[in-house]
Amino acid sequence: MKQTILVCCDTGCLANGALAVADALESEISAAGIDCRVERTVKRTGCHGFCEAGPLVRIQPDDVAYYRVKKTDANDIVRGLIENKPVQRLLYKDKNGATHTPRAAHPFYNKQNRVALRNVGEIDPHSLEDYLDRGGYEALKKALAMTPDEIMTEMEASGLRGRGGAGFPTGRKWRSAAGYDAFPKYVVCNGDEGDPGAFMDRSILEGDPHTVLEGMAVCALAVGAQEGYLYIRDEYDMAVHAVGNAIRQAEEAGFLGESMMGSGKPLKLRVVRGGGAFVCGESTALMASVEGRVGEPRAKYIRSVQRGLWDHPTVLNNVETWANVPVIINGGGAAFARLGTEGSKGTKVFSLVGKVKNTGLVEVPMGCTLRELIFDIGGGVAGGRPFKAVQTGGPSGGCIPESMLDLAVDFDTLTKYGAMMGSGGMIVMDDTSCMVEVARYYVNFLSEESCGKCTPCREGLRQMLTILTDICEGRGQEGDVELLERLGRTLQDSSLCALGKSAPNPVLTTIRYFRDEYDAHIREHRCPAGVCRKLTRFQIDADKCVGCSACLRACPAGAITGALKQPHAIDPSKCIACGSCRTACRFGAVTVSGRESK
Amino acid sequence: MKITINGKPCECEKGEYLLAVAERNGIHIPTLCHHAGLGDPGCCRVCIVEVEEKGRKRIVTACVYPVMRECSVETDSDKVREQRGIILELLRMRAPDSPEIAALCETYHAPKLERLRALDSGKCILCGLCVEACGSLGSGAINTMLRGTEKLVGTPYDEPSPDCVGCASCAEVCPTGHIVVTETADTRTIWGRTFDLVKCERCGAVLDTPEALAHAAKRAGQPVPVLCETCRRRYMTDEMAHTFGISVSD
Repeated sequence: MKQTILVCCDTGCLANGALAVADALESEISAAGIDCRVERTVKRTGCHGFCEAGPLVRIQPDDVAYYRVKKTDANDIVRGLIENKPVQRLLYKDKNGATHTPRAAHPFYNKQNRVALRNVGEIDPHSLEDYLDRGGYEALKKALAMTPDEIMTEMEASGLRGRGGAGFPTGRKWRSAAGYDAFPKYVVCNGDEGDPGAFMDRSILEGDPHTVLEGMAVCALAVGAQEGYLYIRDEYDMAVHAVGNAIRQAEEAGFLGESMMGSGKPLKLRVVRGGGAFVCGESTALMASVEGRVGEPRAKYIRSVQRGLWDHPTVLNNVETWANVPVIINGGGAAFARLGTEGSKGTKVFSLVGKVKNTGLVEVPMGCTLRELIFDIGGGVAGGRPFKAVQTGGPSGGCIPESMLDLAVDFDTLTKYGAMMGSGGMIVMDDTSCMVEVARYYVNFLSEESCGKCTPCREGLRQMLTILTDICEGRGQEGDVELLERLGRTLQDSSLCALGKSAPNPVLTTIRYFRDEYDAHIREHRCPAGVCRKLTRFQIDADKCVGCSACLRACPAGAITGALKQPHAIDPSKCIACGSCRTACRFGAVTVSGRESK
Repeated sequence: MKITINGKPCECEKGEYLLAVAERNGIHIPTLCHHAGLGDPGCCRVCIVEVEEKGRKRIVTACVYPVMRECSVETDSDKVREQRGIILELLRMRAPDSPEIAALCETYHAPKLERLRALDSGKCILCGLCVEACGSLGSGAINTMLRGTEKLVGTPYDEPSPDCVGCASCAEVCPTGHIVVTETADTRTIWGRTFDLVKCERCGAVLDTPEALAHAAKRAGQPVPVLCETCRRRYMTDEMAHTFGISVSD
């Protein structure tokens, strides 16, 4: 019998001490002595998804999952293995105190369908054998026996659309690149994941790098490319390392390099580290960066499949798109297309972050509703506060209110409502988020990250930022909202690239769905969420206050007075409106009012 | 191929840029970052027009839009007017000292948006033509720095660049006259460096800086005659006349 202890050693768990856990488990196993009936191994894997409760440890084949494991738990875990009794205190308990074993029955996992993430968390990313054990490079083998046309027909049948955000049909992209008679051609992997709160590409690159390489190799066969680049953002050190290692292994094993699996067809892949610019996630800016030029986009009236890298036909796909390719080749396009909705096939990985209970990485079939994602899988809003909005699609996505939570998440539905699925970031906000401030935050981010090439994006964002800052600081004027909308429309139509075209989305959607908050800021000089400090005053509701003094201890300004078990009070002249008292209060006694109101 | 611009039928080649087609047909589209001798960055967005293809309308930039299929183009639709106006107004906020931008705002009835905030001064609209000119001449002394709203053009660390040859091509192509060139009888100052000026050996007209001539000689792979354009033509004529034994009367 074989028992494998999978320890998540991806970024989140690593930061919480996963390596020490793995080391402790290994020494406990060797201390327990050799049992010739059971082979026990510890594997340092990629992301298990449930980052909130890390470090995560999972025992296979029984599918027992442990949460918040410390190195001191290693002894109990190994003893549990030997005695065949799971360690009860390390199992995840839901709000009713119930545990879920096997892991697949856990509410965080039971609605998921891991396709792109199929190997992430299951294998040691630095082991080619692990990948081969799970059917690795079978797709490449199969593709080598197919004609380019057959490969592309399969891709088209799958209905796969680009996972980076734009959602362009992958098969069609490959076919148009294949249609140009030119040499050389390139395949490029976009791993410049820059959206705040999104980490699905990082997890795939770190947890299952060979899948991406295999996907690229299949495409290279289809379009006739012999060279490729993986553009990975510089901050993703582990990903760069994992991919570099994977390329070396695949070349040594003869899967890539001079002759792919002895076919005589070469493919040379190289890693290029990004320079830290968000805009380099835009395909033409990325290519400029690979070429060694300043990362600025160009007009895309002539597409990259015709003139891309060094003006040669180039297929550029996102990490997650590449990770789906081997599945399609192995299982067939039609099987893949059975998952998902009419216009969006397959699954999508989302990173569920913000004020949600179960923070982490989830993969669900397209068409799953926002409510299922946030409330069933995500477990609802953390801290028991009411849900307010979910920001989808990264900084240039939109904010969606509660009334629209039953929308299906796919490429077309969200776009219709002014948001977008984008690369799959999903930031949940509760009633302590001010939607004007959220819009200001994103516009600030984008104005810093815009390349500054075209006028609407560079100048428009600068002006929108000043107006939004004015509103947040109480200098808003009548007509500001209309002006923001007017500028926003110009950006959408006239900007050079997708960054500028989608940059006004956070502003336009918050105006569309939370107009009352803008009006409260501008007309009443009041921030209903209690976030914009210059427009916020906190008070303590004497009827609700039990005098626990939690707020008094939390207040950094010494503005709260009150005897124990007596209602407390806030001295407005000392209050800096930081909101620490509201966070500290467990009785909802701290209320918000406008600064100017009587 | 046939397309229509503002209702007027126009002949064009497949792949030809829309701006070129319009110009040939006497239809004016305003531009700032377009320069015939340099690659089109397509960044000022002043040349936006509305194109209708297969029943679908969209805004494109005429300078870099290749005509690939039959379409009808509006250079002055409501949408173009509104957005071009806003773009020009945004540029006026960026370059409040530029009379060129102010004049364009006037011509195209850009809305006066008092709520927007103008920079304190400046004429630069960050079109990058200067960088393009400097780069294509091979000196590469200036470039854009930073990104987003902080972006600016200059020499590395804003110090006088050893790569600058003082040719002033950057100033020549600048659409708003932002780049300052100060010339005395014998010197030229640009980008914080002062260069001597070489004069035409025959007529004494100001020619260029010694650095620029040396750079040109290096690029040409042979010495460049120290002559102004007029005198160089005359010199060539004399040479040819001498070669072919023709006598040239003055």
